[in-house]
Amino acid sequence: MYVRAVPPTDLNRNTEWFTYPGVWTTYILIVFFSWLVVLSVFNCSPGMAWTIVHLSHFLVTYHCFHWKKGTPFADDQGIYNRLTWWEQIDNGKQLTRNRKFLTVVPVVLYLIASHTTDYQHPMLFFNTVAVFVLVVAKFPHMHKVRLFGINADL
Amino acid sequence: MITIPYLTALTTYFSYGLLFAFGQFRDFFRKIFDWWRANNLQGYAPICLGLEDFYIRRLYLRIQDCFGRPIASAPDAWFDVVERYSNDNNKTLKRTTNISRCFNLGSYNYLGFAASDEYCTPRVIKSLKRFSPSTCSARVDGGTTTLHTELEERVANFVRKPSAIVFGMGYATNAAILPVLIGKGGLIISDSLNHNSIVNGARGSGATIRVFQYNTPLHLEKVLREQIAEGQPRTHRPWKKIIVIVEGIYSMEGELCKLPEIVAICKKYKAYIYLDEAHSIGAVGKSGRGVCELLGVDTADVDVMMGTFTKSFGSCGGYIAGSKELIQYLKYSCPAHLYATSMSPPAAQQIISAIKVILGEDGTSRGAEKLAQIRENSNFFRSELQKMGFEVLGDNDSPIMPIMLYNPAKIPAFSRECLVQKVAVVMVAFPACPLLLARTRICISASHTKEDLVKALEVISQVGDLVGVKYFPAEPEKQEQLKEMIKMD
Repeated sequence: MYVRAVPPTDLNRNTEWFTYPGVWTTYILIVFFSWLVVLSVFNCSPGMAWTIVHLSHFLVTYHCFHWKKGTPFADDQGIYNRLTWWEQIDNGKQLTRNRKFLTVVPVVLYLIASHTTDYQHPMLFFNTVAVFVLVVAKFPHMHKVRLFGINADL
Repeated sequence: MITIPYLTALTTYFSYGLLFAFGQFRDFFRKIFDWWRANNLQGYAPICLGLEDFYIRRLYLRIQDCFGRPIASAPDAWFDVVERYSNDNNKTLKRTTNISRCFNLGSYNYLGFAASDEYCTPRVIKSLKRFSPSTCSARVDGGTTTLHTELEERVANFVRKPSAIVFGMGYATNAAILPVLIGKGGLIISDSLNHNSIVNGARGSGATIRVFQYNTPLHLEKVLREQIAEGQPRTHRPWKKIIVIVEGIYSMEGELCKLPEIVAICKKYKAYIYLDEAHSIGAVGKSGRGVCELLGVDTADVDVMMGTFTKSFGSCGGYIAGSKELIQYLKYSCPAHLYATSMSPPAAQQIISAIKVILGEDGTSRGAEKLAQIRENSNFFRSELQKMGFEVLGDNDSPIMPIMLYNPAKIPAFSRECLVQKVAVVMVAFPACPLLLARTRICISASHTKEDLVKALEVISQVGDLVGVKYFPAEPEKQEQLKEMIKMD
């Protein structure tokens, strides 16, 4: 019922909250509840609902993790202004547990979405593009890489 | 060690996610709306880059009335809080002329010197008439009065170090001294929960900074060994200097530093130690001399001792105490000494008088009484809060007690409910503390009487039930005993 929270050594308040207990569960629960909400609002088939959840998950996480740069407060004097949230997490160390978890989630969502829509054509294409972009963005080699100058600094 | 109920952690993440999502939505529509409307600043760069002010605009401004409340009297045990109202949902707050007399649980008034004192205030007024409110000069030009030299001697004596230097501002002491003590090629190892002034001073110094886990001497040893073995980044040459920075009492946790172990480790690896006693000087220890006295550490083992006068002495400014050579060097090179205006003379006199009272040199035993009072008050308040079921951090004898709230909505709820019942408390939210661990911080003073504390406990207990922050099971039988005690008194 109770968990112990050890303060981490991460000085970046923007990403330090991700190391506390309960984050993974909250993430999974939010995805699951949004599936239920989509099902009840749009009255579509479960497969379509998973596709919608997968694509909106792609848009939201791409925007928050890989597009927006910097931190939402000015206390750190802008030392992270060139780094996206994904590049800031865990102080830039690659292949930590958190990063692995965040890479696995879109893949699992893709598998669920494609399975429940029986791999039919228009949805499959969009799902595949989404998961491809997300997983490639999370590769260690893509740390601080800006392809074709997209999202480069001013 | 903070123990969070698992469900509370989940709901807190969810609340912050919701707040963040709403903020992004509103920003999106605001961008469209602004693009539609012409503005006359074409071609100028934006003042805030990206989402730098997102937290301020979308989260902080919603609960702005809980922070920065203006007060209209001295911050004694009871003080006047100015009432404010807002017509546009807290974006702007307007002051009224109404004041409400509230019980002060937020000021750092540890020994009760914040208000008029029978020994200090007449002497301060005399020095104000003699020396005028400002020296209008830097220390090296014309700003060193007899008060400043006397103050430096007394501070060195109080802290038990050979000599000391004082500055006009506590934050500036840390921020200006660290760049002078260490530069590029040096290593600063600082505790992960150190105050912002230390972080800024360390960043400004140009040295490499490494952080060790809060109050964990084993991790400090691990980091020290790793860094000494690796040497400077890229060149791997040995470090020119290593300074370990810790605080006496951590202001957001209320816990004492594990000083004896840390000093032992630093001696073993030959690193310098910098102790920031902002909250512990004058408030802990048998005669008020801080954590070194409380934990039995010889002051000769701590290389640089820093402290501020804002908390226990009721004044302003900061000091650094160390060996004669160190202080002499700082007098030649520290910019806060060479260029900043020196401390205001009445403020210096206040500190001198306060030190005299604490040490009993004014002829009465008020100093010892105050120290005993604050210890008793802190232990009483903390044990009562824990019995009621609140999660209170901090060690015994520490006058700071944070009560954990966690959920972001409980921050304004607790604050506003307490204010309605005339108890003024201070809230601490992200980013001053980690995202998940929002809290309210109570500072006990020697000028709080027992009846006031008991009434405040009742108010906090009621508000705690209303808001739902009693995360631990309460002890019911002792509650009845407390009610009996109040009836008998």
